[in-house]
Amino acid sequence: MTVKAARLLAVAGITLLCSAHVGSPDVWYEGSAGPYHVVVYVRMPGVVPGIADINVQVAGPPPDQVTAMVNLFNANAGTPPPDIAKPSPAGAGWYHAPLWIMAPGSNSVTVAVKGSKGAGSVVVPVTAVANRRLPLERSLGGILAAAGIFLFVGLVTITGAAVRESVLPPGVSPSRRRIWGARGAMAGSAAFVGMALFGGKLWWDAEDQAFRDEMDRPFTTTASVITAESSPLLQFDITDSAWVMRGDSMWLRENHKNSWSPLVTDHGKLMHLFLAREPDMSAFAHLHPTTTDSVHWINPVPDLPAGRYRVFGDIVHESGFARTLVTTLDVPAKAGDASRDSRAKPSPVLGEDDAVYVGGAAAGDTARLANGGTVVWERGRVPLTAGAPAPLRFSIRDAPGGLATLEPYLGMAAHAVVLRDDGSVFIHLHPMGTISAASQATFAIRQQGDTATGAIGRRIAADDSALAGMSHAITAGTVSFPYAFPRPGTYRIWVQAKLAGKVETAAFEARVREKAGKGKENNRLN
Amino acid sequence: MTTAQVVQTRPPLADARAASSAPALTWPLYAVVLSSAAIVIGLLWDISWHSTIGRDTFWTAPHLLEQLGAIVAGGSCGWLVLRTTFAGTPEQKAESVRFWGFRGPLGAWVTIWGTFVMITSAPFDNWWHNAYGLDVKIVSPPHMVLALGMISVELGAMLMVLAAQNRANEPARIRQLGWANAIAGGILVTMVATVISEYAARPNHMHGTRFYQVAAGAFPLFLVAFARAGRLRLPATSVAAVYMAIMLAMIWILQLFPAQPKLAPIYVAVTHMVPPSFPLLLVIPALAIDLLLLRLGRRHDWLASVALGVVFTGLLLAVQWYFGEFLLSPGARNYFFAGDQWAYMAQVAEWRYRFWQVPKDALGNLDTARLARGLGIAGLIGMVSARLGLWWGNGMSRVVR
Repeated sequence: MTVKAARLLAVAGITLLCSAHVGSPDVWYEGSAGPYHVVVYVRMPGVVPGIADINVQVAGPPPDQVTAMVNLFNANAGTPPPDIAKPSPAGAGWYHAPLWIMAPGSNSVTVAVKGSKGAGSVVVPVTAVANRRLPLERSLGGILAAAGIFLFVGLVTITGAAVRESVLPPGVSPSRRRIWGARGAMAGSAAFVGMALFGGKLWWDAEDQAFRDEMDRPFTTTASVITAESSPLLQFDITDSAWVMRGDSMWLRENHKNSWSPLVTDHGKLMHLFLAREPDMSAFAHLHPTTTDSVHWINPVPDLPAGRYRVFGDIVHESGFARTLVTTLDVPAKAGDASRDSRAKPSPVLGEDDAVYVGGAAAGDTARLANGGTVVWERGRVPLTAGAPAPLRFSIRDAPGGLATLEPYLGMAAHAVVLRDDGSVFIHLHPMGTISAASQATFAIRQQGDTATGAIGRRIAADDSALAGMSHAITAGTVSFPYAFPRPGTYRIWVQAKLAGKVETAAFEARVREKAGKGKENNRLN
Repeated sequence: MTTAQVVQTRPPLADARAASSAPALTWPLYAVVLSSAAIVIGLLWDISWHSTIGRDTFWTAPHLLEQLGAIVAGGSCGWLVLRTTFAGTPEQKAESVRFWGFRGPLGAWVTIWGTFVMITSAPFDNWWHNAYGLDVKIVSPPHMVLALGMISVELGAMLMVLAAQNRANEPARIRQLGWANAIAGGILVTMVATVISEYAARPNHMHGTRFYQVAAGAFPLFLVAFARAGRLRLPATSVAAVYMAIMLAMIWILQLFPAQPKLAPIYVAVTHMVPPSFPLLLVIPALAIDLLLLRLGRRHDWLASVALGVVFTGLLLAVQWYFGEFLLSPGARNYFFAGDQWAYMAQVAEWRYRFWQVPKDALGNLDTARLARGLGIAGLIGMVSARLGLWWGNGMSRVVR
């Protein structure tokens, strides 16, 4: 290892966007594990294989035992023994188990609880991808460089000693010629080791490049507004070869790629597409484009002000792998009718679950809805801190001020979309957490022998109960979303619920600060 | 053949003046040879652990065995150097080489250097795992640094034995030290075979050309060097036999221990410790190397290296091509041959009993032209490896300090 290599690596460390949701790799789940109400928080490793930090909070009296187990979706010859989670120093009923995730892709964390109410378990899907590249710290680089120099000089010296003395009969002093021969050997070995180190550096670079090539990146996509027949259409295309060529075994083999499994419906939709206007996030849409080939997607153009939009498309593969597609869209002025109204006004051509919101964030903790009701963010007085559980608790009230009755909106009591103002963090939350219900369903209904692609997708689509089973009990008017903001910054939160057959949207701004003392990564539950 | 005759086949060592009253193997020699055995056994055990159980810590038994080997080897050589430098007898000082003002046998310095390389690899490997993920493979940059350290420790042990062997002039001591040298060399060959085992160990590789190219690059270097420097009747054959014995012992012992994976995904239901693949039948090409060198003597090294490369590659091909077929057959799926044993995470499916990377034409038939070209390259690599082995062996046969 050379100093130069160390320096190169030190400056090259970068953080990249991550797939299943953007810039927000950690996983939250809140719901039932049999008779127990649990919160599961999985801090994902930035590389695979790596250690996932699994945290489980069990409501009510302390359970006898909490276990956790990680598995990959397609493992077919057994499961490893579950690990017993130990009470966490964070207290508050949290249990903790660090577990290895060995294989990238769609993994599951099975949490099981035993206690006075019997046994219960839940499967939490997690998407394991490499999403960060670690720089070599200056201190470690220095230590390695010093060790390298010491070893280099040592090896050259040993070579000299070997040639100069080791073949001489004991007691005989080396001749002048032998001494010069040893010097030559030392120079030769220094050159040889130098070349070996250079080769090692090339190898390291190649490994690093291979790692970066394998790092997770969103599929390449494009979005545009086209005019077809009479009305403008939003066209969204997945242009990535890895997806377009997924059925071409020859291409896959030549490019050393695995075939991506087909998509499954999530809340009955193949894709959930979100638009947010740049740079002020003053307009938002939640759409469900349709497709015939999973490559080209279309949707009527919603009634949005002209401008550039960030586009995020959530899809779920049959393996349970959930990913977010990212692109931008330019909405021309003539596309919509350029409504000046700051309130949601769904265009009649949109689907009943599609929703558009035009307007800024609420001035305080109370946002007024288009139907005259309100959404109140019960955020309390504690400031929002990166890495700490965020109090995303909202009460939704009707016009007279009583708690509203929430109708299931795509199988959920409510949806929340969180977007950092620079677009580097995007996530679609439900009261059950960050996970995709469809992803969880793929694990729940997967059977041994499910090797035929499409089998699970068909079962999910056919079996409504698979979806209904995932939906949450609807609490009258109050919803909360388990989540921790991954980084400090300014975020926009759009909260959506269905009231009287109509999707209503409220927007809030969240300013998230750095964790006090910035005690690095340790125990973010504190 | 008696050892007295063996001595006659060697050029006389004019310098064999060391005190013959001292025991042939002093304790530092025992310590370094046992340590290098501990390192290679620990390594094979560790690989089995990763193939079977998966989950490990710094403190697993195989890791401790490897670390103990490094500490004992480095520590005893360090002690030897300090004793020789500050309290050594004139004879001991005379049998040493100088390093930054200190004195010690050449092998001790190589072992100490190897210990430091092993220590350096630890933080590098740790960082590598954090940066790029735990690498479940043998050939990665930090693992190769560690392997370089291990090989150096074992090489140092061998050099210490070798110097003692080369100084010896009594037939009994020559024989004893010759065997010690064969054991140290066998440990080294086992280490090298393990490092290249991803390319040249599985029977599934034995109809591909890379298997022969990698093996022809690695083994002649060591076998030829031992053949030249060892003072047994058949030094390379002895070294190859030691390698096979270590591997067989590991295979037969590891399988006795029930174990199961503690990591997912599990694609193979493993019930006991997964052993390494059956050793290559290196004794056969090694015997040819010994006989060739006995016949050619020391005067035709360039010619010898051409012959050695061709003979090694040809015999390895003749032996492993068919033995590989046997190892993939039901006849090898038993305790003795340990065929069809896979790590828990292996996804081999229909490739389980097939040969991999076989040169084939568009119709799927064996492409003999490509096979011949690949094997020809293996032969050339074997010649280069044998030539380097002869140079190295010539040097080692003269090491007396």
